Amino acid sequence: MSSATKASRIGEELWKTRVDKVNAELVTLTYGTIVAQLCQDYDGNYQEVNKQLEKMGYNIGMRLIEDFLAKSNVGRCANFRETADMISKVGFRIFLNIAPTVTNWTSDNNQFSLIFDENPLADFVELPDDGRAQDELWFSNILCGVLRGALEMVQMQIEAHFVSDVLRGDDTTEMRVSLVRYIEDEMPPDEE
Amino acid sequence: MSYYFTILSPTDVPLFNIAFGTSKSGGDGIARFRFPDTAQYMNQFIIHSSLDVVEEAQWMNGNMYLKHIDTYPPASAYISAFLTPSGARFLLLHQPPQLPSNSAGAGGSMSGSLLLGSGGGSSRASASSVAANPTSPQTEEAVRQFMTEVYENYVKTVMSPFYRQGMEIKSSVFRGRVTAAGRKWL
Amino acid sequence: MTQPARHAAMLSISNGGPNAVAVDKQQSQHIHTQSQSSQGLRVPSNRKTIYDRHLNRSRSAELSRASFAFLFAEMVTYAQRRVTGIQDLERRLNEQGYPLGLRLLDLLYYRTMASSTSSSLSSSSTSAAPPNRPLRILPLLHLIHGPLWRLLFNRPADALEHSVSPETPNEYMITDNDPLVNTYISVPKEMSMLNCAAFVAGIIEGVCDGCGFEAKVTAHNQPTEMWPGRTIFLLRFGESVMEREKVLERAGVK
Repeated sequence: MSSATKASRIGEELWKTRVDKVNAELVTLTYGTIVAQLCQDYDGNYQEVNKQLEKMGYNIGMRLIEDFLAKSNVGRCANFRETADMISKVGFRIFLNIAPTVTNWTSDNNQFSLIFDENPLADFVELPDDGRAQDELWFSNILCGVLRGALEMVQMQIEAHFVSDVLRGDDTTEMRVSLVRYIEDEMPPDEE
Repeated sequence: MSYYFTILSPTDVPLFNIAFGTSKSGGDGIARFRFPDTAQYMNQFIIHSSLDVVEEAQWMNGNMYLKHIDTYPPASAYISAFLTPSGARFLLLHQPPQLPSNSAGAGGSMSGSLLLGSGGGSSRASASSVAANPTSPQTEEAVRQFMTEVYENYVKTVMSPFYRQGMEIKSSVFRGRVTAAGRKWL
Repeated sequence: MTQPARHAAMLSISNGGPNAVAVDKQQSQHIHTQSQSSQGLRVPSNRKTIYDRHLNRSRSAELSRASFAFLFAEMVTYAQRRVTGIQDLERRLNEQGYPLGLRLLDLLYYRTMASSTSSSLSSSSTSAAPPNRPLRILPLLHLIHGPLWRLLFNRPADALEHSVSPETPNEYMITDNDPLVNTYISVPKEMSMLNCAAFVAGIIEGVCDGCGFEAKVTAHNQPTEMWPGRTIFLLRFGESVMEREKVLERAGVK
């Protein structure tokens, strides 16, 4: 069985049996409120909003990984490809009930894309029609931070950013994830 | 029949408006108001003068669709209203193509006597046609369908986290949807 | 609302050209606004926009409770960085909930309407009555206690009470024994007075205001042995609301 299929099964099973649930719209609307508030507080400085969202995600990721490990009980991944499957099929399944497609690997297996066919965070959302938001704001940027925070706690330094978003008028929503390095065990994990 | 549709915020700020003509009975969908030169201004004026009636009816009648609520005889303009629970008002002004025989507007006034199903419509077109009689049950029903469809799209607009109460609705997709609803029902 | 205000508002949108017959030419873009930035938003090539998504699509969808808790905690932490004290923090959470209340109100009615008239699309008319807007305080409170709570938390609130004090007939209380927003939030000791349900209080306030019932809504900790997180939402309606209430009662409006 491929690592992707295995991860899918684990994810589905966990979602059905181990995850306490809430109304999806409550989550969607709460996230929308956060982003709208940031845009207001930073007075339309979308670069700064992206940065703040990433930071929030980083904080969440560092805490979320515990919850993930406790629920999933999975061992260490053998390589970055396995990690990608684990992120998409187990991580995203548990927390957002989606499994973005893993694709566009580089030949050194250090970079891949996550394609989001669905994104509950962005349901109901239309970006401000101010001639800038569609060029500058990454609405779901919190997810990049979540990955960075979570993976750092399991000794992986990664970099993640969105390269397209249907909210911007793109045909797909795609996040690019790159492995920077494996962190040595003796390094303090929260070094920023 | 010519139509002028507007959405007003709870504090009477115009959020959206559009003028169109009937697409029923061979209509070409183009508005032809009685006073083409001043139609824009007149329509807004008439609609805003009906707000007192709306505000009164709003607390006596819990329906979202208040049907035909006011008539402005000098322009043979009829106003129908739909209230969203969050306080926005959808107002539709309809104006029949010709000055109807004097019975139509006779009982109406700015002070808001209701002309529900008064049967005073023009005798020139068949009574069941939407275009014929602004107060017939058929028209009330067609307007209800129109309002309901606009409401659905309005809810989609306000659900976006970036939409704030009182913001003008500028989306061309929204405009297209309202136009389509007008074509479909009116 | 005075007449002059209305006329002022009425003139604040300038429409292109005085000639309405020209409308067909400008049908797609005929409101010209103060800001001329709008080229319109780009849409994906499948042309999917918010208007193409059915409003009921996520109606019974679920997400992880942990995701909500993480997001909500970040929201509170972020709000905390920009405030001066507990009251200020609660005010800010309240303000963030408020626009949600307005949105949920419209969503709620749309859904009730859609289900009561679902057959009407094919038949020419329908007998099922669409939902009524609340005109009196009691139906408004029932709307919050029942449908609103169910939409947000999948269950009704636990209690609904009217103040017994003759001095405060404008006060009502809605109780939630175990508010979701407090389940994962651990409040530092020095902030033991804080109740993050201020966010929910803001939602309630938005619903009340939206319906035309001006109110102040606050959240208060009222723990019991069985329910350590028990929260009372105190709704205080404004004087104009209470006066209208009397008028409507006399007029027999329910």
